[in-house]
Amino acid sequence: MNCPRLRDWLEERYDIEGIKGIALSKFVPEHRHDIWYYTGGVTLFLFILQFLTGMLLAFYYVPHVDFAYKSIIEIVTKLRMGWFFKSLHHWGAQMAILFLFVHLFGTLLMKSYRKPRELVWVTGFVLLGISIFFGLSGYLLLWDERAFAAVRVATGGAGAFPVVGGFIKAFLRGSIDVTGETLLRFYAFHVAILPLVTLALIGLHLLLVQFHGMSVPPSLEKEKLREVPFFPNVFYKDLMIWLVVLGVVVTLAVLFPPEIGVKADPLAPPPENIKPEWYFLFLLQTLKLFPGSILGMNGETIAILTVSGAILFFFLIPFLDRRSARGERSPLFTWIGVFYLIYFLVMTAVGFLS
Amino acid sequence: MWTGHLQKRMKRLLNRTRLAAAAATATLLLWTTPFGAAAAEKIAVFPETPYDGYIVYESLIVFWAAIIGLVVILRMKLKEIERTQSLGADREDKDAPLLE
Repeated sequence: MNCPRLRDWLEERYDIEGIKGIALSKFVPEHRHDIWYYTGGVTLFLFILQFLTGMLLAFYYVPHVDFAYKSIIEIVTKLRMGWFFKSLHHWGAQMAILFLFVHLFGTLLMKSYRKPRELVWVTGFVLLGISIFFGLSGYLLLWDERAFAAVRVATGGAGAFPVVGGFIKAFLRGSIDVTGETLLRFYAFHVAILPLVTLALIGLHLLLVQFHGMSVPPSLEKEKLREVPFFPNVFYKDLMIWLVVLGVVVTLAVLFPPEIGVKADPLAPPPENIKPEWYFLFLLQTLKLFPGSILGMNGETIAILTVSGAILFFFLIPFLDRRSARGERSPLFTWIGVFYLIYFLVMTAVGFLS
Repeated sequence: MWTGHLQKRMKRLLNRTRLAAAAATATLLLWTTPFGAAAAEKIAVFPETPYDGYIVYESLIVFWAAIIGLVVILRMKLKEIERTQSLGADREDKDAPLLE
């Protein structure tokens, strides 16, 4: 630091050397799979980008059923660089969720969830769920016919859940259908509730990662690995990757700004061949596999229960994979992970093409 | 009789003009009125004038040049740090004499 007076002032009050010591004492193992370590950092960077662009958009967005759509058009057409920041927010969200999935499957296939890191997995998984809800709630704020239909389908699907479905649906919609009440609720979720929960969970997730240190894949655990200091070696590599990711997001935002659809009309029929965001496609395709009625029971309810069961199983993998916890090889869970990944990719591709 | 014939012709011409005007108006209306939602005007989500578009693309190229420059600088810095670390010069010598 080149300000000796400021340094002295801070050192007099805080243990600066101690904090520096903590930062310098963190080491990261180097091995052939260490590229996966950077996916978490990229996701964090994209979250920061989303917070910044979201704050800018919040200055001009009007969360009212009569003005929401108009305010979006004004942001895009009248504000200087408004189109760019809206597009950046859109592509930042897509990339954040993409990297969350990459980070999730990387963690799964490297068995980084195994004992004692179960809570790191749990906080990360909850963050993924919150991010998807971030996407859905942000989508409705556009208040165009596609967003309206997507939220109607999503909240309707939640309503098919037995016992608590009705409550969840009513809680999300705030009314019997998707209305201005829903818009206001989703706005509150998107700009206040979810960011607070996300910040707390990111803090806890990072704290747990610092506490446990970086996980090494079981196949490399017995090898003597070289360790490099996090600061500055890994930090500099992180910065380089973040810069490239920023470049990609900005390029996508400039070359492919998202279109603005027709204003939502609750009385109009849903538009034809409507598709949700790409991260919901595998769910939609799965629901389509089920018939309307199975053994006299509602097919949609059975589909929702099956999907929920599969997601719950995925969430509980660290607690079910006992062999990994004991430090043994567990090929069964590797294959389960590969199956989930292939299923996700294939169903998303089918959803795109159909 | 001649005047009556002229009146008839004038009336016919007027009717034809009215018909043509009505057809033109209808065509104009059909052109400008959207057919429901599908024909709704597309909202411009990118600067419309060629000059503004050019500025945006030019800025994107400059932005990428800056990113590549920064990545190269960081890479060079990292190489230098790794070289220093491999020599062991980054470790603090506790017994080193202090220059006042």
